[in-house]
Amino acid sequence: MQRLVIVFLIACLALSAGNLTGKVAAGKGNSAVYVEAIAGKTFPPPATVPVMDQKSLLFQPHIVVVQVGSTVEFLNSDKVAHNIFWPAVSGNKKMGHNMGTWPSGEKRSFKFDTPGVVPLLCNVHPEMSGYIIVSPTPYFALTDADGNYKIAGVPNGSYTVSAWHEGMKIQSKPVNVNGDATQDFALSK
Amino acid sequence: MSMSSAARFIASGSLLIPLLSLLLLNKDSKAIPAFSRQYGTSCTTCHLDFPKLNDFGKAFKDAGFKFPKDDESFLKVAPVMLGAPAQKDVWPHSVWPGEIPGMPPIGLRMNNFFQFTGKARTQFDALAAPPNVPGYIPATDFETGFFSIFTAGNFGSDIAFWVDDDISVAGDNGAGGLGDGYLKFVNIGRFLKLPKDTLSLRAGQFELDLPFTQARSINLSPYDIYAESNIGAMNALVPVQQNVANQFTFANAAKGIELSGGHTYGGYHYSVAIVDQNTSGVSQSANANPYVPSATGGANGGVGFASDSSFKNVYARFSYRFNLERDTVSRNAVQAAGQTGPRDHTYLSLGTFYMNGNSLQRYFGVPTTGGTQPILSVHEPYERLGGDFSFNYRTFNLFGVYMYGRDNNMLPVDATGALIPLPLSPSGPYPASFVSGGRATFNGGFVEADYLILPWIMAIARWDGVHSEADQINALALATNTSYFGAFQSTRYRFTPGMQFLIHPNIKASFEYQFRPQQAITIVGDGVTTPLSAADAFRVNTFLVGLEFVY
Repeated sequence: MQRLVIVFLIACLALSAGNLTGKVAAGKGNSAVYVEAIAGKTFPPPATVPVMDQKSLLFQPHIVVVQVGSTVEFLNSDKVAHNIFWPAVSGNKKMGHNMGTWPSGEKRSFKFDTPGVVPLLCNVHPEMSGYIIVSPTPYFALTDADGNYKIAGVPNGSYTVSAWHEGMKIQSKPVNVNGDATQDFALSK
Repeated sequence: MSMSSAARFIASGSLLIPLLSLLLLNKDSKAIPAFSRQYGTSCTTCHLDFPKLNDFGKAFKDAGFKFPKDDESFLKVAPVMLGAPAQKDVWPHSVWPGEIPGMPPIGLRMNNFFQFTGKARTQFDALAAPPNVPGYIPATDFETGFFSIFTAGNFGSDIAFWVDDDISVAGDNGAGGLGDGYLKFVNIGRFLKLPKDTLSLRAGQFELDLPFTQARSINLSPYDIYAESNIGAMNALVPVQQNVANQFTFANAAKGIELSGGHTYGGYHYSVAIVDQNTSGVSQSANANPYVPSATGGANGGVGFASDSSFKNVYARFSYRFNLERDTVSRNAVQAAGQTGPRDHTYLSLGTFYMNGNSLQRYFGVPTTGGTQPILSVHEPYERLGGDFSFNYRTFNLFGVYMYGRDNNMLPVDATGALIPLPLSPSGPYPASFVSGGRATFNGGFVEADYLILPWIMAIARWDGVHSEADQINALALATNTSYFGAFQSTRYRFTPGMQFLIHPNIKASFEYQFRPQQAITIVGDGVTTPLSAADAFRVNTFLVGLEFVY
């Protein structure tokens, strides 16, 4: 009986949620798309711990999108010393932070409690660049190489959805999800 | 007196500034954009204020222009294999496989200068008597510097290479020359089961393992002590007589082989080099003989001979760097681990160096009864001995060198044993033999403080001092002036504050003010009843701006 109830509830949720899809035109590389904060709704932080690696003098992956409240692990896989710092979060310099340095093969963690764009830098290798995009909601996605994205399981409703791409201005658009919905973006500098 | 030592005497008066300019232009600062391309990394990975190396850059160089560990994982451009690695298994029935960089590791560099020369520059105009009009030294001057090419990397099997050449100097095509060009066989001690990095071999043309590089210095002007040759006092008006004409300086590249080991970023480091001797200063291209051409040539003499005698110089250096980090892991690592990121160690480095050579001079001797003139060879062993230190705290580096040089002094005597006044004249009197006189010595050094105020702003203060009584005596012999090298006093000082700005990681604007040694145009005394001396000293100070870019 209990199983039937759970299946029923899941089916109801599926019927009241949809996929938000679209395309971000922003040039080379991946873009991040996320649903902005929803009034009156909070979301528990996810249990998964994404990893941002420093390997071959690169941040790998280049962009990690996480839900606000997530903890990210920063790994140094190189046989050289690295550092990670960010001078600001979404331009707010007061939120800049330096994580210091740690040896090859070791990790350090940081919990991101504020939504925004976190530009990762290494003060030893200034060419290194990476991003943590902290989404206010669990509804986010990275585009593929062609700029296509798909955010699954977005509850029906009206939201603001934003698209970010490195070096471009963030663009936000309203979207009404009632089943599947589509929203495209064309970002500019 | 040899031609080259004569040239030294001429380095005065109206030729003063051009010679200084030449010295200035002999500065060879190099950074390696080729490595940036290979590894996809910034200049600042290896340099503080290019071409000054940080600790990682020193480790990269020590390793044979490779990352100290896991080099292949950092390469963004895969090397081209010159034979599959498995070919090693069938050696000697195949050529040992190697590799070349996936793209030509070429870097280019260009610099320009602007110089302001102080008002005292016109003092030497008074030396030109009619009808000679002195050359004009401009108060302000835009000057073309170097356009240089350099290429370096690793051929696999820990065989590193380096070549740098000035394609043009002062805007004149072909006026430049080779700086360094060598192969370095890194860590060959592994064939002898020696600990890692205890023995490497370098062969070709290279800057000697100086305590602080001249060829890749950040300064616009060279270190005076490195440019000091030992031209003995040859003034008939003074009692001191030194038949020494040794053109060797540490500023010039040497040709030969070098064994080395250890690390420059921590612990011990040593090198022993055996290099050509060329105290007469003759250039290799000009030192060709139609009767015994060098083996690389036919009738035209080939590439010429680089040595001017059969002796070889021996140069040795040992240094030890104490990394002063409290944490053991950090102390022994390539870079120290700071709270906000890796950085250069706090360290104290102490070192010493020694060079032994044997200067050869050749003269026509007293004609025989048959009328022929024998050629007399006189050997004058010489030594250079010095010590150095370097202290680094975060972005502040204080370092210095002291050097002492001495040359044996073989004085020419006639058949009666009487000294022949110097300098010897080609028309005689001719020496019958040589007797040992007092050694010709000099000493001096420099102390420099570099402070990296911001990652793109470097403040520099440098003090140079060279003491050479012979230089002053030689200058006084001109009887009308003291040259830059033979200044107002036997000890000449120079203070050089400067600022450098990295406009971009590969573009630098450098500013340098030089409080130069005192000089004079008035010489008093006749050298007989009263000693010669200079009067009414003045300084020809300069302000220099350099704009340099590498790519």
